[in-house]
Amino acid sequence: MLLKPLTYHAPTSLMEASKLFTELEDVKILAGGTFLLNSLKLLKRKGSKTPNHVISLRHVPELEGVTLENDHLIIRAMTRINDLFDSDLLTDNFSVLKTVCRNISTNPIRNMATVGGNLTCRYTWTEMGAVMIALDADMHFIGADGTDTGMKAEDFFKNAAKTDKIFSHVSIARDKNAKIAYRRVKKTLHVDVPLLAVCVKANFRNNHFSNTRVTVNNGIAFAQRDTVLEEFLNKSKCSVSAAEEAMDHLDTKIYDTRSDDYKKHMFRVSLKSAIKELAETSGS
Amino acid sequence: MKNVTLTINGKKHDLALEGHETLLEVLRNQLGLTGTKTACEESECGTCTVQINGKAELSCIKLACDAQGEDILTIEGLADGDNLHPVQQAYLDYGAVQCGFCIPGMIMSTKALLERKPEPSQEEIEYALDGNICRCAGYPKIFDAVRKAGEVMKQGWQQAARPDEKNESRPDMEKITCGITYEEYVKTLNAGKTAEAADQ
Repeated sequence: MLLKPLTYHAPTSLMEASKLFTELEDVKILAGGTFLLNSLKLLKRKGSKTPNHVISLRHVPELEGVTLENDHLIIRAMTRINDLFDSDLLTDNFSVLKTVCRNISTNPIRNMATVGGNLTCRYTWTEMGAVMIALDADMHFIGADGTDTGMKAEDFFKNAAKTDKIFSHVSIARDKNAKIAYRRVKKTLHVDVPLLAVCVKANFRNNHFSNTRVTVNNGIAFAQRDTVLEEFLNKSKCSVSAAEEAMDHLDTKIYDTRSDDYKKHMFRVSLKSAIKELAETSGS
Repeated sequence: MKNVTLTINGKKHDLALEGHETLLEVLRNQLGLTGTKTACEESECGTCTVQINGKAELSCIKLACDAQGEDILTIEGLADGDNLHPVQQAYLDYGAVQCGFCIPGMIMSTKALLERKPEPSQEEIEYALDGNICRCAGYPKIFDAVRKAGEVMKQGWQQAARPDEKNESRPDMEKITCGITYEEYVKTLNAGKTAEAADQ
């Protein structure tokens, strides 16, 4: 027996799921299961307590699919990573999501794992966090009374927000003029272990960076913005040399991950490479 | 206990399941479908891969109850009577099986890939099989088998399964094993030893 006994619930509507989530105690939400089930197995091995109830969202049709509404990309919570990767809607600033999806774990995991699970599993390392903050995404949660509460992805991760509502979808505005670059560093043992990810998004005005967003996932804290670097870039001319100069304007506490110099070095390499990519493509 | 109907290899199974039972446990322990292997049990090795609605998924991290209403395919459901599925046949023909433990999962991932893309590039093959680990490290022959199976599947699986055509599609085993025949290999080996002895 891999898991401790639990009661399985399979609501067939979002309202039913939200009500169950509010009513039941000691409950976890099951999306793709790739994180939750392994966590429950680990807790069992350690002899720790595991939840009494699991609510599966697999049979809730409102939580499936990717659509474009009023020039906003809507990604519903139960959209699987490979389904998002295959979506024809990932153009303009949304196209970075293809790169992110492609770099998540392994193929069977990408077939099972969901965008909702990736964003809300409360694990400090998840791929979607940094990119959603860079894209200034809005996360939406549905309560038992049907109310839709929106929250910026940045606030969700900054405050490690806890909620008794069900995450329903993420909404991202299209920005045809934005350039965006994503870098992820991993080390390969028997599986790929992620070390860090950075995402840099910018618009360009009069050959200068503007509206820059730099997000970092260091694997220890939740994804966050480097506002010091953003401020520097927003005053900088758009050139490849800006990438080099930017390295003297980092919010160092974000990159201090108690790890060896290798990781700090890779942060700089990744940031420089991402900023250079933006500078080189800014004219196109 | 929850009454659940699972559709596995085209057959409906009415089962009374506990909420915590994984699909892997149900397949192996209740239904005797032991072709789906159990190893790491934490989604890293890929030996428990099955196809769910045509996609490769891991049965060790899937609750069996959650698979209700899905079309589940295991390695046992691939062959058509005595005719192996082209992917199984290609793995055999190309000697892609060493210890064989990873192979059911590897075959399920291969089938899912080739149904989407019968002519995958090397990069696409590696990407699709990145969740299946072969501890014998027999990847080159596995990749050869995937390519061959793709060619056969492109022609259509019924046609490929016809016995008179099966032999034609089989490669010369001695040649593909190491590029030379066994006799040539022994001759080369002996020649090397003779040269080494002469040097000393």
